[in-house]
This record gives sequence, C-alpha cells and structure tokens, in this order.
Amino acid sequence: MINTAILSWVTFIYFGAFVFYLFRMMLGREFWGKLAGWIALAGLIAQSVALIIRWKTSYDLGIGHAPLSNFYESLIFFAWTVVFLYLLMEQRLKNRSIGVFVMPVAFLIMAYASIAPGINNRIEPLIPALQSNWLTSHVLTCFMGYAAFTVTFALGIMFFVRKAAAHDASGVRAFIHLLPSESQIDDLIYSCAALGFIFLTLGIVTGSVWAHYAWGSYWSWDPKETWSFITWITYAVMLHVRLVRGWRGLRMAIMAIIGFACVLFTYLGVNLLPSLHSYL
Amino acid sequence: MSKKKSGIWFFFASVRLAIVLLLVIAFFVMIGTLFPQREAAVELAGRIPPGLFSFLQKMQVFDLYHSVWFFILMGLLTVNLLICSLDRFPAAWRRFRSSPVPRDPDAFKDLPEENFFYPELDVKKAADAAVSLLKKKYYSIKRADEASSVYLCAHKGRFAHLGVYMVHLSVLGLICGAVIGSVFGIEGSVKMLEGETVSGISLRHGNSTMPLPFSVRCDKFTIERYKNGAPKLFQSDLTFFKNDRAVWSVKLLVNHPVDFEGFRFYQASYGSAPGKKATLALLRDGGRRDIMNVSAGYRFELPGNEGTFQILRVEDNMMQMGQAVKIAVRSEKEVATFWVFREIDRIRQVIPDVFEQVPAFNPGLFRPYTFSLLGIEEKYYTGLQVNRDPGTPVVASAAVLLICGLMIVIFSYARQIWVRIDQDEGRIRIGIAGRSIRNKVGLKREVRHLLAQLKDNLENPK
Repeated sequence: MINTAILSWVTFIYFGAFVFYLFRMMLGREFWGKLAGWIALAGLIAQSVALIIRWKTSYDLGIGHAPLSNFYESLIFFAWTVVFLYLLMEQRLKNRSIGVFVMPVAFLIMAYASIAPGINNRIEPLIPALQSNWLTSHVLTCFMGYAAFTVTFALGIMFFVRKAAAHDASGVRAFIHLLPSESQIDDLIYSCAALGFIFLTLGIVTGSVWAHYAWGSYWSWDPKETWSFITWITYAVMLHVRLVRGWRGLRMAIMAIIGFACVLFTYLGVNLLPSLHSYL
Repeated sequence: MSKKKSGIWFFFASVRLAIVLLLVIAFFVMIGTLFPQREAAVELAGRIPPGLFSFLQKMQVFDLYHSVWFFILMGLLTVNLLICSLDRFPAAWRRFRSSPVPRDPDAFKDLPEENFFYPELDVKKAADAAVSLLKKKYYSIKRADEASSVYLCAHKGRFAHLGVYMVHLSVLGLICGAVIGSVFGIEGSVKMLEGETVSGISLRHGNSTMPLPFSVRCDKFTIERYKNGAPKLFQSDLTFFKNDRAVWSVKLLVNHPVDFEGFRFYQASYGSAPGKKATLALLRDGGRRDIMNVSAGYRFELPGNEGTFQILRVEDNMMQMGQAVKIAVRSEKEVATFWVFREIDRIRQVIPDVFEQVPAFNPGLFRPYTFSLLGIEEKYYTGLQVNRDPGTPVVASAAVLLICGLMIVIFSYARQIWVRIDQDEGRIRIGIAGRSIRNKVGLKREVRHLLAQLKDNLENPK
C-alpha cells in the first residue's frame, strides 16, 4: 500500500535529518542545522500525507476510522507527534541543538514500526470495543503527552551531554556553545514535562470517560490504567519537587529519564502483562 | 483552623510527606500489576505452594486495590493533601486578594539599567501612553501622580495563586467519588440465553445475587463479523418488563450502554450456549408456510392440529452432507422420524433416488407437510454488566476541575508590574519593573517586551 511505502521512506528522511543535525553539532555550521530542519519538516509533511491517505483508504475499504487503531498506527502517530512537537519548539526557541537528541528517537520509533516482527501494518476494521468517538480524542491526547515526555527525555540526555562536555577541557568544546545553557535546558525540561502532564491527564480522563461507556467502570485497575497512573504520579512528583522544593538541573534531568522509563513501560511494557488494552 | 499548630499538623502539612506518599502509592499499585488480581488469581493458586498462596491472600495481595493497605495509603494522602492545602491556603488567598500599590519602594530597588529608557517627551504624555499600553494587557491599573513623576502599577494572572488548590481539591473530589462509588455503588453481571428473562443480577463482591425491581429479557443476540473474521458488532435486543408489562425494547451495543431505573446495562461478553439453533420452514400442502427458530428438544403443535413435532437433533454436518435437523412427528396414527437437510436439492441431484434408498431423508415424509431447513446458527448467551455508581458525577466534576486547575497552574502565572516615569539628570526616565513568585524567566521576557512596545508607541504615535 502506498501509505506504508511513504512511511518507510519517512523513516530514512528522519534519519537524514538526524545526520545533518549531527553535522551541525560537529562542524558548528548553522547551514547543516537549517538543512536538517527543512528535511525534518519535509518528513513531517510526507508523514502527514501518508496518514491522510491511510485514513482515506480506510474509508474506501468501507471500514473508515482514524489511523489510530492498532500498534503500528500508534507507533507512526507517536513519531509524528514527537517530530511535530520538536519542530514547533525549534520554531519558537530558534535553537536547533535539541534536534540531534530528538530526531534519533523519532527515527527509532519509525524503524521499529517498519521492521519489528509481529507488527501488522494493514488497515484493519475496528472491533466493537474500539467503535467509539472517544478513540480519537483518547489516543490523540495520550500520544501528545507521550511525545512531550519524549522531548523531555531528550532534553534530559542533552543536559547530561552538556554537563559531561563542560568538564572535558579538550577540543570537543566546540559544540558546547551551540547548546542552550544548563538553566535554559532546565526551564525547557520543566515546560515540556508540564505540557506532557496536562496531556497525560487529559488522556487519562478521556480514557476514563470511554471506559465508563465501554466497560461500565471509569477505572478498573487494568495494568495499562495502573501504569498510566504510575506515570502520572512520577511527573506529578517531578513538578512538585521543582515548584515546591526547588529542584533544578541534574535532579530534574534524572527525573525526566525516570519519567520516560515509566512512559515506555506504560506504552510497551504493559503488553507483557495481561490487559484489556490488548489492541494497543 | 486552630491557631496552635501541633507537631502532627506540621507532619501532615509537609510536601515531603506528600512526595513520599505518592512514591509509595506508585510502588504499591505497581505491585498490583505484577500479581494477578481478583478472579485472575485463581490460576496462580495451582502453581505456587498452597501455604504461600493463602499467606498472600491473607495479605490481600490478590485484591490490592481494595485492600486495607491501599485504603490506609489513600487515607494518609487525603489527610496530607487536606492539611497541606489548609496550611498554605490563607497565604495564597492573601496574595490573591492583595493588589499592588503604585509607590512600592521595593519594586525599583536594584533594577538593572536595561529596564530603563529615556524618551524625549514630557512626563504626562509618557504616562498616558504607558497607561493605555498597560490597559490592553493588565488589570486594575493604578496611578499616583507626583510633582515631577508618575507611578503606575497593574497586575495579571491572580488566579494562578488558587490553581494549585483547585488541583488539590479535585484530587480530594476524585477520592471522595471513588469512596461514594465503592460504598453505595452496585457492580453486577448477568448472563442470559436468547429468549430468557431474568430479574436478578449476581454481584461482583461476594457470591450473592441481588433482585432487580424489574425484569429484562434478551430477545436476540447478534454477532456480525467482518470479512476477515474479526467481530464487527455485538448486539443484544433487550426488553424491560415492569409488573409483567413490557415497557421498553432497546438494542444494547458495546460502547452504548442503556439506562433503566437507575441501573446501567453494558454489553460485556457473550458465549455460545450448548445446543444449536435452527431456522425451520414448515409448508402444509396448499396451505401456509411457517418459519420458526428451534433448538434440540423443542416441541411444537402442527399448524393443522394433526399432532406434534419435536426437534431431536441439530447437526452442523450430518454424514458429510451438510447441516441437518432430525425431527420426530407424532400423530395419533404414527410416529415419523426423519432428517431435514439444508442442501436436500443438491443431494438429490447427486443421488436422484435418495428418498427411495433412505426414506428417513425425505423432509416430506409426514403428509401433508414438507419441512425445509433454512440455516443453523450457534446459540448464544449474552453477558451484561449491570452497574449503579452514584460516585460517577462527583468523579466527573472533579476531573473537570482537575484539568481547569492544571491549565491555570501551568499556563498562567501571577505577576505585578510597575512603571515609573521620573526625571534623571534633567532627562525623562521610564523604568518598568515586575514581580512574580513562580515565573521569573517569563516575567523578565515580558518586561523586556513591554519596554520595547512602550518605546515604540512613544516614538511612533498613531
């Protein structure tokens, strides 16, 4: 199908964007950064087109639904939100150095969607439990949250790289001045985590409303629900320790990484446990 | 709130306790995802030593989310949240109510040079321009005129002081709604065969059943499938009876529960019931044709009152010749037993004299009737979940409050802005200062922006 063909090309486009962001880092020339930014944007547009085609194809098959209904589609949409959020940030912050940390994540998600065994990339009809208007709003908000947390994680890694490189007095210092300062990274970590927290909350609430209609209970301690709750608590703690106890810098970077581990487990790890969310 | 705050008060008012409690709760619920819960725990019983199992059971590991431990943790969190909020709320309320005064001596202390500029205008004009700019963006602008200087102040985002209390209140609301639900709520389920009427449900907690103040009948259960075999639709056609009168017939679908007298019915499961269901057509020579749904064991009167017939067997594939039903017709004179094949016409094409060879394969064996089999279906039962949860509205409003509160906390912040227009070594000097507890970085940017805008407005008057 044409949409999956485009999507596998997008994987390489994102890899290309990552490589050029890396060039910018190594060579210190803004030209590479601009090129990488445009390539990433082209990838995002191609991916959007592919998603729209996929959406339309599902209607042509007579089983019309938003392309958010199985594991493959969720991975693709996850990558889309990550790149979308990153490009939005790049635009607002006028700083391209985060790209080198975010793009590889987007690339890996896309690559995983394309090559991991047992991932079905066909357009499938919706089973009765998924036939709900809440599907789109629930998946949309959850993955916006996941994407924000992914960028937070990338920023956390960036913080570590910056800290490590600052101690190293040798020649690699060249790229340090391209990175935002530690306090700027810290502010970004907070902003992204806060944004993700709002979206995660919205995701959990929309999920509860949906569960209320589908399963007869707004909360049933299904492993996916439970892990989303654990993730929510982790980021709630992260925001509290910053706002109330004044944690900054390294500690927040560590929290960003721990939080992302929870996100990953909520998204992927839970599939190892028996769950009602078996389709995603 | 008492004036004398005891040690216990301080213990529960601490944010550190809140953080520790949240982490403990997170760890606790994680344990619950590692052990099978409730019904699923039975499967584990066979795989671990019985002593260990009963110990874990006694520790309520298999119903962790309804265990004493969990209630204690949530209780502690509730008290913590309540005291912590009560402890800090008065100060936040004062901050919310307070408004800045124009002549604040601290506002301009140590203000960096970049927060000043020197326009070529008189004080009054500059002040008017500053007022009109502030009016566009801030609230309750106040002005103090002095001999050769003007002081202005304004504020914005006061509600940010209260946002965090909205969030805390909403979490208390969520806990409260959950408690209401678990105390006054009913969680039950019922299984019924097509055609069956029930007037009670089995409760999830304990093995008791609860009578309903009405009865409900499953008229029909339908499964539709996509071409690839995945289910497309589960539907139960229900009829509700009140005092033996049918009052409401409704289709129940997944994701579309129905409400009746305060109970909410959900399409939860289905399964095949023993036995199969055949659709049979019965033609009387020169007479009418009846169509009926039958299962093995069913007994009917013949339409012309010649006797009764009974369904003996319903077979999916009888002797490799497809679907068939075995029928016995009893009249005063005889008992005729024969098979009705769905594909009888095709069978007769292959074996033209099949009726002579095997009379029992003739669906018209009992005169003057001819039976034909239109199809055989699986016989289903439908599983409904029946709930009543008075806590849901509380939880729903708490969730709305939670989202509003979070938006306020994260997207807005409270700040106060001062503008001072005075003279410095014969030149007019305008300075802008701001104060915010939460967002110093954002405020700095905002003040810089305000300076640039005011400068622009003064230099290029419209």
